[in-house]
Amino acid sequence: MPTKEHADGERERCVTGIDAIDHILNGGIPRGNTVLISGSVGTGKTSICIEFLIRGAINGENSLYLSVTEPTDKLLQNVIPFDFFDDRLARQGKLQFLDLPKMYEKLGIDREDLDLDQTRLLADTIAGLVEEQKIKRLVLDSVTSVCYRIREQERIRDFLLRLGTVLSAKGCTTLLVSEIRSSEEGYSQWGVEEALADGVIVTGNLERRGDLLRTLQIVKMRGTTHSRAKYVLDLTTSGVLLVPLLKGGSVTGGG
Amino acid sequence: MTAEVSEKLRALPESSAIAMRLKSEQYFDAIQGMIDRFAMKKDLEVVYVTSTIPSQSIINALEVLEIPMDHIWFVDCISQIMMSQEKRHPHAIIVESPTMLENIMLKVEFLLRRVPERNALVVLDSINSLAIHNNTKILSEFLHILVNNLRSRGAYTVIFSMQEYETEEIRNMLVLVSDETIELGG
Repeated sequence: MPTKEHADGERERCVTGIDAIDHILNGGIPRGNTVLISGSVGTGKTSICIEFLIRGAINGENSLYLSVTEPTDKLLQNVIPFDFFDDRLARQGKLQFLDLPKMYEKLGIDREDLDLDQTRLLADTIAGLVEEQKIKRLVLDSVTSVCYRIREQERIRDFLLRLGTVLSAKGCTTLLVSEIRSSEEGYSQWGVEEALADGVIVTGNLERRGDLLRTLQIVKMRGTTHSRAKYVLDLTTSGVLLVPLLKGGSVTGGG
Repeated sequence: MTAEVSEKLRALPESSAIAMRLKSEQYFDAIQGMIDRFAMKKDLEVVYVTSTIPSQSIINALEVLEIPMDHIWFVDCISQIMMSQEKRHPHAIIVESPTMLENIMLKVEFLLRRVPERNALVVLDSINSLAIHNNTKILSEFLHILVNNLRSRGAYTVIFSMQEYETEEIRNMLVLVSDETIELGG
């Protein structure tokens, strides 16, 4: 993959700006990686993604959020009012939000299931947008919803490979949101997504003696060594905070 | 008593973790000495973790003593499980239960991040009440991580221990994590 390397052989990093995640990843996500952020509802996936984009925009990196599941104006009403958010980022075009259904409309994609040509057109259009807008951070929320319309595993594989290869070549670090049920094994609906992604970050709920804790675990990240331990997560106005999960207590439920 | 508390604390360097062993009747004097005569004089941000009595009861006492609340914040782990109907003070953050030790660490972290330029005093009130709700293994792990994190930030940590309710396990835990022990009136 044509991603930059430092003189010492280390991959260039995309510093997420979420201190604890950068710490776990020894400096950030290797730039150009496509990372699946996988979890059930209410576990903090969207908040993590939005903080990733805002921190990037503050740092001068053009950032784009592609929303599939809900209109962005509704999403923004419900998002945590981060202390560090600055309206000017959106006005300056550093931080952009786009509803994918509008893109479908523009491309004339009106069928519920996408054929191979439409799948490729969608991937190429997103890639074109990234190139045109010089996007360095992209979030697709959610890849699960896009895959529902592609349906066929082979076409999903084609879409993700095509998109991932182009974005990586452009040095764009991408988070793909994967929606799974809490009871589900694996990290994605179709199984293809996690196999093709360079990284997998899993958010979850852990029940311990009747308390429900939000957790985060990085299970895979190509291009860096990292901790694979489970952390407890809090979504605050100062951003996403993590502390190690304490192991001394009895754990009665998984997550 | 209040002077004794502040003098003993003032003798300690930043980053100190202190076990404060006291009797129940010394409780409010210890709080006054620690906050009014030590933290306020040293211009410290105070993060007070309470699992013993609701934060509002301590706030009421501080108001009687006319101690300004500007730099005092509470992480209250007891009001929610008591189903307390008391009003919530804007300087109090609720943790659902004293068993959610990770969330206590997260709230302390959140409060300290808001004022990175200020040094802090973090009070754990008390080890005895936390020990009611948590086993020794997880509580030791919690204290070890929290105290080391605070030490690396240069913050003072004071851990209250009520002498009447101390067990051998609690004493061992305090010895393990604290640099100094202050015993009041004794």
